[in-house]
Amino acid sequence: MKSGVLKEVIKNLFSKPATIEYPKEKTIIEPDARGRHYADLQKCIGCSLCMIECPTKAITMEKIPEGYEKPKKNPKGMYPVINYLKCIFCYRCVTMCPTLAYVTTPEYRLATEKPIFSRELSLKTLKGGEGDGRD
Amino acid sequence: MDTAPENVTKAMEIPMLLEVPVGPQHPALHEPVLLKVYASGERVVRVEVNTGYNHRGIEKLAEKNTFYKDIFLVGRVCGICNTVHANCYVRALEALLDKEPPERAKYLRVLAMELERLHSHMLIEAVMAEILGYDTLFMHIMRDRELIMKAKEILTGARVLADYMMVGGVRRDLNNEKIRRLNEILDKVEPRLNYYMKLFEEDVTIRKRLEGVGVIPPRDIINYGLLGPIARASGLKMDARLQDGYDAYRDVPFRIIVRDDKDSLGRMLLRWEEALNSLEMCRYILKNLPEGEAVPDEKRLSRVFPKGEVFTTVEAPRGELTYYVMSAGGTQPYRVKIRTPSFNNIINSGFVYIDHELADVPVILVSFDPCISCMERVTVIDYRKGTRRKVPIKEVVRGNA
Amino acid sequence: MPESDVGEPLKELAKEIQEMKVGRVVVILDPEKVEEAFRKLQERYGYLNVYLSTIVGTDLKSEGKIRMDYYVNVFSESTYVVLRTFIERDDPKIKTMLNISKAAFSGECETYDLLGVKFEGNPYLKRSFFVPKDVAEKGVFPLRKDSGV
Repeated sequence: MKSGVLKEVIKNLFSKPATIEYPKEKTIIEPDARGRHYADLQKCIGCSLCMIECPTKAITMEKIPEGYEKPKKNPKGMYPVINYLKCIFCYRCVTMCPTLAYVTTPEYRLATEKPIFSRELSLKTLKGGEGDGRD
Repeated sequence: MDTAPENVTKAMEIPMLLEVPVGPQHPALHEPVLLKVYASGERVVRVEVNTGYNHRGIEKLAEKNTFYKDIFLVGRVCGICNTVHANCYVRALEALLDKEPPERAKYLRVLAMELERLHSHMLIEAVMAEILGYDTLFMHIMRDRELIMKAKEILTGARVLADYMMVGGVRRDLNNEKIRRLNEILDKVEPRLNYYMKLFEEDVTIRKRLEGVGVIPPRDIINYGLLGPIARASGLKMDARLQDGYDAYRDVPFRIIVRDDKDSLGRMLLRWEEALNSLEMCRYILKNLPEGEAVPDEKRLSRVFPKGEVFTTVEAPRGELTYYVMSAGGTQPYRVKIRTPSFNNIINSGFVYIDHELADVPVILVSFDPCISCMERVTVIDYRKGTRRKVPIKEVVRGNA
Repeated sequence: MPESDVGEPLKELAKEIQEMKVGRVVVILDPEKVEEAFRKLQERYGYLNVYLSTIVGTDLKSEGKIRMDYYVNVFSESTYVVLRTFIERDDPKIKTMLNISKAAFSGECETYDLLGVKFEGNPYLKRSFFVPKDVAEKGVFPLRKDSGV
C-alpha cells in the first residue's frame, strides 16, 4: 500500500501534466466529432425539412440574396441558416437532409460575443469551392 | 413517522435545535439541492430535503413536441446519464411501432450505456474523495475518467451529450480503427480502476469516514423505494438489466454485484466493482460485435405513431429509470412520464441521516449519487421527513429562532 | 420474460386484467382497493420482493377522468404489475399509499403538484414549492391538458 503511493508520486513527478494549456495548445478532437455544420448550397434544394425537424428551432429559412447565382435544384431560392447559439449539435438536420447537403466539421470553438450564424459559410459555397469552413 | 429518535419531541419543547442549511449552492455535488438539517449538538435530528431549484418542466415540454424531437429533449434531462434516458425513451417508441433494432445496434447501445456507467461511477467516486478532503484522489480519478470521455467521443461523436440512440438503431457505427482505439483506452483504464478500488478498500482514512455511516437495512430500502447501487449494497438483487433484459443484455454476460455492507463504504465499493464489470462488458462487446447494419435511415422512419402505451425501464448508473409513454395517435405523445432513480433515492432518503454527526451528512448524500437535474426535470417538492410531532415544523422553527 | 399469472392474487379485486407493452400486467381496480391490492401482492410475493416503483397520473380530459397508475415492481417475478384506477377529474381524490409504502411519498407529492390529485391522509402535500410560484398562485396544475402552460 505505502509503496504503491510512493510509486504513484514518483511517476507523476516526472510525467507530463495531465492538463492541456488551452487555448495555447489545441485540444485533440475526433475528426468526426459533432461540431459546426452548415448547408452546402450546391446541394441544398430548399425543402425546409431541417427547419421542421430541428428540436431547438435553431434553423430558419432565408432567401438567397441578390447577386448570388441561384442553383437550378433550388427553385424557391431558400436556404437554411443555423443559429449556433441555439443549436445543440444533435445533427438531426444532417441525418434528415434528403440531399445530404450538410457539411460537417469538428470545429467546437464557437464562443463569441455576438450571435453567430451559418449564413456566411453557406453562401461561400455558392461562389464556388473556396473555403470548406475550417479555420 | 417512525424513524425519529424518541427524544425529538423533547428537543422541540426545549429550544435546542440548530437549523443548518446544507446547500442549495452545492451541498456535495455541484448541483442545487437544499438539505435542511436540524441538529441537536452535533447529532442530526431531522432532515428536510428541499428541492425546486432546477425545475424545467420537461414532461410538459415533451407533450408539446414531436416524438422524434423528444429523443433529443430527454437526452438533456441529465448530462451524466443521457444515453440511458434516450435509450429508455427510444425503446418505448420502438415498442409502439413494433420495431426491433438490428443486433449490431443493440450491442452498440449497450456499449454506450456501459461506458456511461463507467464514467458516472468514476465521477461520483471522485466527488466522494473530494468530500472526504482527499483532493489529490479526486484529480486522479477525474484524469482517468477523461479517458472514458474520450472513448465516448470516439463512439458517439461527443464527450457528454451523445445523441446516440435512434428508433431502429443507433446514429453512428464503429469501424476497426475505432474498435482498436477503444480497446487501447480500456486497457489503460482497467489497472487504474483496480488500484482505486484497492485504495478504497484499504485506506484507513476513507474507511474511517465511510464505514458504518448511513446504514440502510433492506426492509427500509423496499419501504422507501430506494433503487440501484443503494439497494444492491444492502443485499437486494434488483437490476433492471436482469429484469427486463433489454437490448443486448440477454447476450452480453454480466454479473449483478450485490454486497451486504449496507453502509456508505459498501455503496462506494459496489460502484467500483460495477465499473470493473462494465469494463469487461465493453471488452466483450468490442470483441463480439455482430456484423450488419446498425444505423437506420432516419428519413424513412414512420412519423406517425399508432395509439398505445408503453412502460420501459433501464438500469441507469443510479438505479432503475422508468419511462411511460402514451400515444393517442399522431405525431406527438399524449403523456410522457419520467421517473428517475434520484427522484426516489434523494427525496425519500431523509430518514437515513438521522442520528448521524453533522459532518456525515454530505458523505451520505454523495454515497447516494444524487443527480438533481435528473430528479427535478418534472417536479419541485417540499419534503419534510417526519418526526412524530403535532405542531407544524415551521412554527417550531420559528419558536426556536 | 413476463409471467402473465402474476396478477393472479388480484383476480377477485380486479374489474379487468389487461396487458401493456412491454410485458406489464395492468389490473384495473376501484380507487379504494388499490391499497388492498398492494398488500395482497406483498403477502403473495414477500415483503422484500415488491416495491412501489412509480405513480403516473394522466389527465384524460375528454373522459372527465384522471387515471392513476401505480407501478409495482415484483422483482422476484421479474415483472411489473400496474394498479390502474380512475378518479373524477373535477374533484380528484384518492387515499394515500403512505401507510403501506413510504416510496409513495415522492410520487404523491409530484402528482398533487402537477395534476392536483389530493391524496387523502398525506400531510406533506404542498404547492408553490413545486411549480414556480407565479404558476402555483394562479392555481394552475401544469400537466392538465387545459392548463395553458
